[in-house]
Amino acid sequence: MSVFYGLYSAMLVGATPILLAAIGGAFTYYAGIFNIAMEGMMLVGAFCAVLGSFFLHSWILGIVCSIAGALVMAGIFVLFAVRLHTDEFLTGIALNLFAVGLTTFLLRDIFHVKGAFTDPRIVAIPAVTVPFLGQIPVVGRLVSGYNAIIYVALAVTVVAAYVIFRTSFGLRLRAAGYNAACLNSSGVQTPAIRVWSLMLCAICCGLAGAYLSLGSVRLFAENMSAGRGWISLAAVILVSGNPWGVGIISLLFGFFDGLTVFLQGSAIPTQFTAMIPYVATLVSLYFYSVRKRKA
Amino acid sequence: MRKQTFSGILGVLAALVIGGVVLALQKFNPFSTYGALLQYSLLSASGLSAMLSRAVPLVLTGLSASIAFGSGLNNLGQPGQLVIGALGATVVGLFVPLPAVALIPVCIAAAMVGGMLWSGLAAGLRRAFAMDEFIVTLMLNFIADYFALWAITYPLFDPAALSPMTRPIRTYAWLSEVGGINASVLYMVVATVLCWLLMSKGVSGYEWRIMGQNRLFARIGGCRVDAHYVRVMLVTGALAGLAGGLMVMGGPHRFVKGLGANYAWDGVMIAVVANNSIPGTFFYGLLFSMLQQGAIGMELVTAVPSEFIDVLQAIIVLVVVAGRVSLNLMFDRIATRKKLRESLQ
Amino acid sequence: MNSVLIDLQHISKVFPPATVALSDVSVSFRSGEIHALVGENGAGKTTLMKVLYGLERRDRGDILLRGTHVDFRNPREAIAAGIGMVHQEILLIPEYTIWQNVVLGAEPVHALGALDIRTARERVARKIDEFQFNLDPDAPVGSISVAARQKVEILKLLYRDVSVLILDEPTAVLAPQEVGQLFLELQHLRDKGHTIIFISHRLDEVLGLSDQVTVMRRGKAVATSPASRLTKEELARQMVGRSVVFAAERSPAEPGEPVLVAQGLTVRTTDGRDALDQVSLQVRSGEILGVAGVEGNGQFELVNAIMGLSTIAAGSLFVQGIDLSHADILTRRRFISFVPQDRGRMGASLPASILENAIMTHHILDRSFRRWRGLALNYRRAIALTRQIQHQFDVSMENAAAPFQSLSGGNQQKVILGRELLLEAPLVLMDQPTRGLDVGSTEYVHGLLLDLRNRKKAVLLVSADLDEVFTVADRIIVMSRGQLVADLRTEETTREEVGYYMLGGKDAVHAQADI
Repeated sequence: MSVFYGLYSAMLVGATPILLAAIGGAFTYYAGIFNIAMEGMMLVGAFCAVLGSFFLHSWILGIVCSIAGALVMAGIFVLFAVRLHTDEFLTGIALNLFAVGLTTFLLRDIFHVKGAFTDPRIVAIPAVTVPFLGQIPVVGRLVSGYNAIIYVALAVTVVAAYVIFRTSFGLRLRAAGYNAACLNSSGVQTPAIRVWSLMLCAICCGLAGAYLSLGSVRLFAENMSAGRGWISLAAVILVSGNPWGVGIISLLFGFFDGLTVFLQGSAIPTQFTAMIPYVATLVSLYFYSVRKRKA
Repeated sequence: MRKQTFSGILGVLAALVIGGVVLALQKFNPFSTYGALLQYSLLSASGLSAMLSRAVPLVLTGLSASIAFGSGLNNLGQPGQLVIGALGATVVGLFVPLPAVALIPVCIAAAMVGGMLWSGLAAGLRRAFAMDEFIVTLMLNFIADYFALWAITYPLFDPAALSPMTRPIRTYAWLSEVGGINASVLYMVVATVLCWLLMSKGVSGYEWRIMGQNRLFARIGGCRVDAHYVRVMLVTGALAGLAGGLMVMGGPHRFVKGLGANYAWDGVMIAVVANNSIPGTFFYGLLFSMLQQGAIGMELVTAVPSEFIDVLQAIIVLVVVAGRVSLNLMFDRIATRKKLRESLQ
Repeated sequence: MNSVLIDLQHISKVFPPATVALSDVSVSFRSGEIHALVGENGAGKTTLMKVLYGLERRDRGDILLRGTHVDFRNPREAIAAGIGMVHQEILLIPEYTIWQNVVLGAEPVHALGALDIRTARERVARKIDEFQFNLDPDAPVGSISVAARQKVEILKLLYRDVSVLILDEPTAVLAPQEVGQLFLELQHLRDKGHTIIFISHRLDEVLGLSDQVTVMRRGKAVATSPASRLTKEELARQMVGRSVVFAAERSPAEPGEPVLVAQGLTVRTTDGRDALDQVSLQVRSGEILGVAGVEGNGQFELVNAIMGLSTIAAGSLFVQGIDLSHADILTRRRFISFVPQDRGRMGASLPASILENAIMTHHILDRSFRRWRGLALNYRRAIALTRQIQHQFDVSMENAAAPFQSLSGGNQQKVILGRELLLEAPLVLMDQPTRGLDVGSTEYVHGLLLDLRNRKKAVLLVSADLDEVFTVADRIIVMSRGQLVADLRTEETTREEVGYYMLGGKDAVHAQADI
């Protein structure tokens, strides 16, 4: 039974950052932006979260800083890809490089360390006990006592689905992706919709970054997003942006990520268990491609 | 072409100015910092030699990315192909008993085959199951990293070492220094010239370029785009693999943990600033290696951390790429105004 | 006479880097009239309207609406001022339903930004009833006919309560009978007080429908006059700047052996529908076969099946007796010269040089284009071919190394025609070869087609332009819903008969009564 709970919570821990970033990616996917900057937004978010939490002694301000950092990245994306009409793919790549460079530089410049920074003064995001439900025996362990961001991530998924499919903003957002010229001619400025989608994406990626550095651990390490932005991009593509699909596929990736942690100390070398999330991405891409080709 | 060069130089200068402002804001002296950068790369013999060696993986992975992007393929797998190529050269260098004349070519071939294996895997998945190489090559990067780490931690581990690394490869496979410059630089130059010939004079280069601009048109024109796809993947994989092999053979002579990690995205970055041009890739490769090499000295004599260079490189990429677009817009606007005046007279 | 509603004064517009689209254009539109804007392709009609609608920025000039200066920076501001535009290429979202398309950008909402679906549907349904459009608000736009989509576009503007409707070439995609229906609806709208600006280059339509006609030529407004005072010949002269012969001289065909023989060609879409359904046809040498039909009825699939761009589910294809049913594209290219409909997508690489575009396919089929055991391109040979195309096909260009996209549309098409025709293949397949070309270039292409016929080539011409088909084709086949529904001799048929088959032979009696 404890094996089950261990795997279950490892799954949630692994899924949360991917879910948040992928929901962010879903907004830009629907808006018709080829946005590959989630990785960079998440990394800057993770760094700014530690920065805010360490200096301002508050995890809430840490999250605020994280979102602000990711928003600055989105602002650069807007400046280059939307305003100056630079290729989105190139802008995304340059932005990801910028994120790695900037965070390692600032890590050295502000905290005077190489590799990773951790300190007892960093305030972590607390776990939340759900009232009433948390008291029930089995259910309680399944729904209560997890990090606050995990609940936020669930809420974000529901809100995203609502916004995309039920609101007038959603109707316009999807129209921007389907046919930007049509949306323009309907009297809506497509660039404005795209800017909004990037902002929403940055907020989600900021939350994902904050979870990475203040949620599961309490430190910032160089390049700590470790390809999660790319995996979330794959998740978005695999389900064509649908937030519910993103939720399911993130849980799947979270499960494999959890398995990685779980299999540490077993007979299998850690290098192979560490490959699992990436192999899982390839396998799901395989199923997606084969199904799509048949259709 | 001339416009390209002009916007490139302008962009790099603008990026250096922005970098200088960043430095000044941090209360560093930008002039002495840039001076130190130059001093420890271009302006000293040892710096220059180290800079050229450092340029080898940058230029080769840059060529790989340039040819791939120019042909319309999203091969982002240079880091993985480099690692597997290095592993290939290492294994041959460790275990194949051949004399120097034969061992060096065989090692180089093994490196290229290693890179081709890794890019060919992505190409095969695309051809067989229509899996997009964009995500596949990215994921294969991580897998290659862990696989190489496993290989040097367990089967190839040097018992005498403290951290994961292999034993040194046979000395016959070591690339020598010629006039203070490592022989790997020579291979890099030859590879660049061959790539240039291929892309600007060859029939394949013509078809690849058209394929990159408009795949459907190339297909209708009778080019065998599916076969070309595989060929481009193999060639670009071989280039990245070669980069890995030369790094082992010219440098530490063994596969050390973290090899290639610092070069992860540099190839892609260089191809992007060079706009997939082969000579451009060569020059930006040299520029970035100059910055990276100079950074080490810069950190010694000024208090600026060498990581500053990572930021500077990213600024260069953004400014040059955006500058190219906006300069074109500006030229257009000037022409528009002139034409308007003419038409109303 | 009604008052002036919109006054365009001295409008100039240059497209970067150096294309003068509009040069000092002044036109006035009066309220409650149908005002036609006519001119050749590239005369600036569409650009002028896009400037008014806020989609393009003008470089000079003023726009007055009811006597006051206005400056619409985007369509939203134009719509708010009561001006709406339906574009030539229909801009709707196939994935959305009719009501979703109509309300997009002007949605009724609940609290929290939620779409008020009920109100939206009701409003759209009410508008449909008011204007008797006979549409189902819940139908996905992807599933309705082209004519119905056009109604949705108009509905979209009426939903926004615009008083001025700009329609850009609305008849280009319609069968003759559908045109009649559209015109009735437009006259109905005018009688309800709307002002309609109608862009066209079809002179009969213009004279039949409009009250006022403004002619544009090469970015300038030539004249505005009441339609009642104009004749077709006069209008054509103003448009082109010289007299135009309407019927090209066409000698009777003397067809020889069959070159292209297709039997039961069938192409299936991914959702299992037959986009091309058992099509059999023959083209003989020295013969031009025209393929007519409302766009999207299988013509494109037919072209793709012949070129090998899509795999055929059934049927066979022979050219000069050789089985090409499942041959690869390169093998087909030895027998087929191909001029596709979309230059930028299928016919050329726009950023590549003129030379690189000129030698495509030649560089594979002709050994002299290769050197060094076939590894290197023979640039001297490539330049020679480019020059040959330039001279033989009268391309005005300066430098073979210049980007292909720096050429004008007509010159781009000439390079493509030159490249394909110099392949000297026995079968020539042309898909909308004159789309977007001016009258001069169109006449040139028609001359080439007739010349090919005299040189005993077999020509298959796919065209949505019935005038073109009737001008050059010896035989006309009509496609509808992926099927070949008629095979007619040009001399023995009429536009009305072809239109009848284009609509699938249904409602023909009823529709003809509308004209």
